[in-house]
Amino acid sequence: MRSPMHRLLISALIVALVGGSVAVAAAGAAADPAKIVPKGKMTLAWHVGIATRWLDPQEHDGTATPDNFITAIHDALIKNQGTMLYDYPALAERFEFAPDATSATFWLRQGVKFHNGEPVTPEDVKFTYENYRGAKADVLKEQTERIEIIDDRTIRFVFKGPFLDFPLIFGTANVSGAAWIVPAKYYQKVGPDGFKQKPIGAGPYKLVRQEPGTKLELEAFEGYYRPVHVKQFTIVSVPEGATRVAMLERDEADIIYLVPGELIGRVKGDAKLMLAPVLSGSWWLEFPGFQNPKNPFHDKRVREAVSYAIDRRAMNEAEAAGLGKVSGNWINNDVQYAIDWPEFERDLGRAKQLMSEAGYANGFNVDWLTPAPAYYSRGERIIAQLQDIGIRAKLQVMERGVFLQRQQGGLREWPGLQMILNGARIGGSWANWYEAHFKCGGFNSKDRYCVQELDAKFEQYEKSIDPDERKQLAEEVQRGILENYYLVPVFRHAFVNAIGPRIAAERWQDIFQTITTGYAYPWEDIKLRDKARK
Amino acid sequence: MRQFIVLRILYSIVTLLILSLTIFAIVRLTGDPALLMAEPGARPEDLARVRHQWGLDRPWPVQYLSFMQNVFSGELGKSFNYRLPVSELYFQRLPNSLQLALAASVISLLVGIPAGIISAVRVNSLWDNLGKIIALLGLSIPGFWLGLVLILVFSVWLRWLPTSGTGDWRHLIMPAVALGWYFSASMLRLTRSSMLEVMRSEYIKLARLKGLPETVVIAMHAFKNALIPVFTLAGVNLVVMVNAAVIIEVIFAWPGIGRLLYEGIFQRDFPLVQGVVVMAGFMIIGVNLLVDVLYAFIDPRIRLTR
Amino acid sequence: MPTIAMSKTAPAMPLAGRLKHAMTALREAPLLAVLILAGLIAVAVFAEVIAPHDPTLPVPGAKFFAPPFWMDGGSLNTPLGTDFQARDVLSRLIFGARVSLLVGLMGTLVAGGLGTALGILAGYLGAWVDQVVMRFTDAWLALPSLVFAIFLATMLGPSMWNIVIILGLVYWTRYARVIRGEVLSLREREFVKLAEIAGASKWRVIMRHILPNVMNTAMVLASLTVGVVIIAEASLSFLGVGVPPPQPAWGLMLSEARPTLMAGQWWLTVFPGVCIALIVLATQLFGDWLRVRLDPQLRNL
Repeated sequence: MRSPMHRLLISALIVALVGGSVAVAAAGAAADPAKIVPKGKMTLAWHVGIATRWLDPQEHDGTATPDNFITAIHDALIKNQGTMLYDYPALAERFEFAPDATSATFWLRQGVKFHNGEPVTPEDVKFTYENYRGAKADVLKEQTERIEIIDDRTIRFVFKGPFLDFPLIFGTANVSGAAWIVPAKYYQKVGPDGFKQKPIGAGPYKLVRQEPGTKLELEAFEGYYRPVHVKQFTIVSVPEGATRVAMLERDEADIIYLVPGELIGRVKGDAKLMLAPVLSGSWWLEFPGFQNPKNPFHDKRVREAVSYAIDRRAMNEAEAAGLGKVSGNWINNDVQYAIDWPEFERDLGRAKQLMSEAGYANGFNVDWLTPAPAYYSRGERIIAQLQDIGIRAKLQVMERGVFLQRQQGGLREWPGLQMILNGARIGGSWANWYEAHFKCGGFNSKDRYCVQELDAKFEQYEKSIDPDERKQLAEEVQRGILENYYLVPVFRHAFVNAIGPRIAAERWQDIFQTITTGYAYPWEDIKLRDKARK
Repeated sequence: MRQFIVLRILYSIVTLLILSLTIFAIVRLTGDPALLMAEPGARPEDLARVRHQWGLDRPWPVQYLSFMQNVFSGELGKSFNYRLPVSELYFQRLPNSLQLALAASVISLLVGIPAGIISAVRVNSLWDNLGKIIALLGLSIPGFWLGLVLILVFSVWLRWLPTSGTGDWRHLIMPAVALGWYFSASMLRLTRSSMLEVMRSEYIKLARLKGLPETVVIAMHAFKNALIPVFTLAGVNLVVMVNAAVIIEVIFAWPGIGRLLYEGIFQRDFPLVQGVVVMAGFMIIGVNLLVDVLYAFIDPRIRLTR
Repeated sequence: MPTIAMSKTAPAMPLAGRLKHAMTALREAPLLAVLILAGLIAVAVFAEVIAPHDPTLPVPGAKFFAPPFWMDGGSLNTPLGTDFQARDVLSRLIFGARVSLLVGLMGTLVAGGLGTALGILAGYLGAWVDQVVMRFTDAWLALPSLVFAIFLATMLGPSMWNIVIILGLVYWTRYARVIRGEVLSLREREFVKLAEIAGASKWRVIMRHILPNVMNTAMVLASLTVGVVIIAEASLSFLGVGVPPPQPAWGLMLSEARPTLMAGQWWLTVFPGVCIALIVLATQLFGDWLRVRLDPQLRNL
């Protein structure tokens, strides 16, 4: 017969055991953040064809397009996500950039795996970096002295000198793909071509099926270290804008990109749908060969007149239903060291005055105005607006392939008196914009502009290792361009997307979280409603 | 007869060779694909590297030989854009295109033949004029417009059919109608004139003289003979549709060959474009050959002409 | 109603007689077709006078997407409405007639000229010339025409005249085959043989005897091709390689206005569509009538 004391002890023990296991279970559940089971299906209607090379971060083509895909299938050490421009810790749970910028160290997160179950190791990181052949590969390789694998979770990149731009280049998905880790053994086994057919990454979704060029079927990767909400994710290529809108209205697509301007009103008026006007690329006018004294645009007053004459707000209204931004700078404000500039005024009277002061009271003829491919209506609007101050231009329609070729050819490909309405979205830093579109010898600008003093400052910027000095120089160069109207910014257009009723979102920014892109990643965060929005 | 067939086959081969040469030259005249394949920051060295990687820096005759090699090996070269053998891409998409073309052909025949017969039987009457109007509509309404209107009406307003993509018959019907619409006009006209001619022929007059009822005359005799050229045209149209349905494919996001080719041109994907055009040529020339041989069987006189 | 008989022995009519015949024939042509064609041609020629506004510039003060004048928000200043650049639809239709007619007619002319020439050469000269031309024609036919047109457009750059050349280069094959067949049978006719025996040079025989006799067929073919060429222009615009903006062409107007089908601005697609339908109707009627008049044997065209 047990004593009361005994019974008490045993009860206490039982309580302790039960309580303890409950506590442990609770603690276990807390430590394992809300174990979400992915369910449901979502479809993205993509607005152009799907290039197979976009599934391989090793051959990132430097445009702001592959990031839509590599963020689904792959993951990076650090990346641009949400409001962070480049240093969101993903596969690396932390990273350290040496104060003198001569090295960068990454600590891999515990338990991160590839879709085939293999763990992500520093060897994979080393292979990815050394084997990287895409955009900015040369810059990265030139500056890197060696890669040290410190232990089974830590890896360090040692540079030849201070490499201030490293985190920016490395961590921005629409600049380079070197941080997006691929499985070394698998990649070598199947080769680059095989990898593009059956890519394996460490991202939230794995590729189940691919119809090259038209459809990608993805499924949630349950081993991803963040919760993935939607189980099946289909990306389908639908080049016709009106069809994409129809799909959205019929629940055949949950997210669509690029709503045609004429249909923005229709989508806006539908309570079940949500417009997502993401600010995207900037547009500006170029005056190739303006350094030539015989060119009318040599005179700053003429360029200034152009700036006063164009109606940026009307352009915004007409081309982006007012959802774009009429800002001052030609460089997007989501890159490092980009300055803000007040909106340019529209003053037709002043423009005409400037024109007569410069000696062109009756205006002059421009041979061609070439808008960057496919956006011909914008070129047409500019031409109409310039007519008001006597500048008569003809629209030159040029297919993309030809445009790229002519850009590369430099000034001789742009004979006579020409203007270019160029548009771009470049990530990373302001320097990438300058380098591409203004610098003498820049891969797009070639020899069309060549402003010596600004180029000299830019060289100084590149050589400098003092962040304050760099910022200062960046501002000076941008000022130089804007105050002298070397380029005349027009507007920043909106890449207008739309969200369907099945997606759970209070505002469109819930889905389009990442400010450095027009696409809807991070994909794992997208949730479906339990009941469709009415 | 055998000589005829052999000769015809020889001709077809020569034609194919000419075709391959033509497309090879044309494609290279459109410019440099390296620019489109390399990243925007590519320097001349990078571009040169890309060109070398794809063999674009070799002299043209060498490239042509390599292209022909690819054709004979059945692989048709490797696409710049998709990194897959062109033949694989082609045969992946061919069933989709065939499906669409067959459905469109069936629709064009279903509309064209009855309308053509009625027009012919009731020449110059109201029915005939109605037929003319149908033909007119078929010829003057561009496919892309019709496609979008169909989507608007049947998908968005009535919600009966899905907007786009492949799937079951519901996905097929709108693109097939949009594609077949144009061809039904030529089916109609051909049926009508063919019927008219047959009905005026001696053979039919004899049948009528025999006292057979009109319907029998039409159904038994006129119909069969009149339809030979119609089905021939339908066969040729089928092949044309497989290759030329690009507009419908874009509107309805249909993964067919037309779109493959169209996107390939803008991407300057030389091997893809060459390979697909050669395949297309192969099909068309093949069908022509078959038709020629068939006609030769039917009409011995044709055999004697060269 | 007199028809031009193609008997086996009678020689072809001299050119003067033909013209007179044509004039009397024209009087009996289908009224509707002639009216439409004449009307369109007049509009195209006098476009500058008739059109109220400049077709490539926005109408000052007009709204974007203004509806036709009988609807709410429309104005008589822009009677058929405005487009996405606030340009007047009516003016664009009028000037578009010029472009579409030019493209249609000139494209057909280029195609017809080239095709007829090659067909005659192949049919008359025979032997290896025939073989080469025919193989070439077959190869050309096997090339998907739209694709070829895109190629040429990317190489030559888009411009109205380039489009004319492109369309001509795409559609000549139809003529070549048919004309060749004609010429093959013409060659055996007595009046041709007589001319040959009399010592006429090949060139002379072609110009005086062959060519006038295939004109009938060529004309019928041409009337049927015009509509096809105009629609092809619309297709090329859809694919981005047609007549370049801001030039107004009906096919381009249709293509540019595609999204507005769903957005409710029906006037931007209906009016150009009606214009295209009109010209196709007119040419079809004309062609049918021509075919019946000239030679009932041409049934398969």
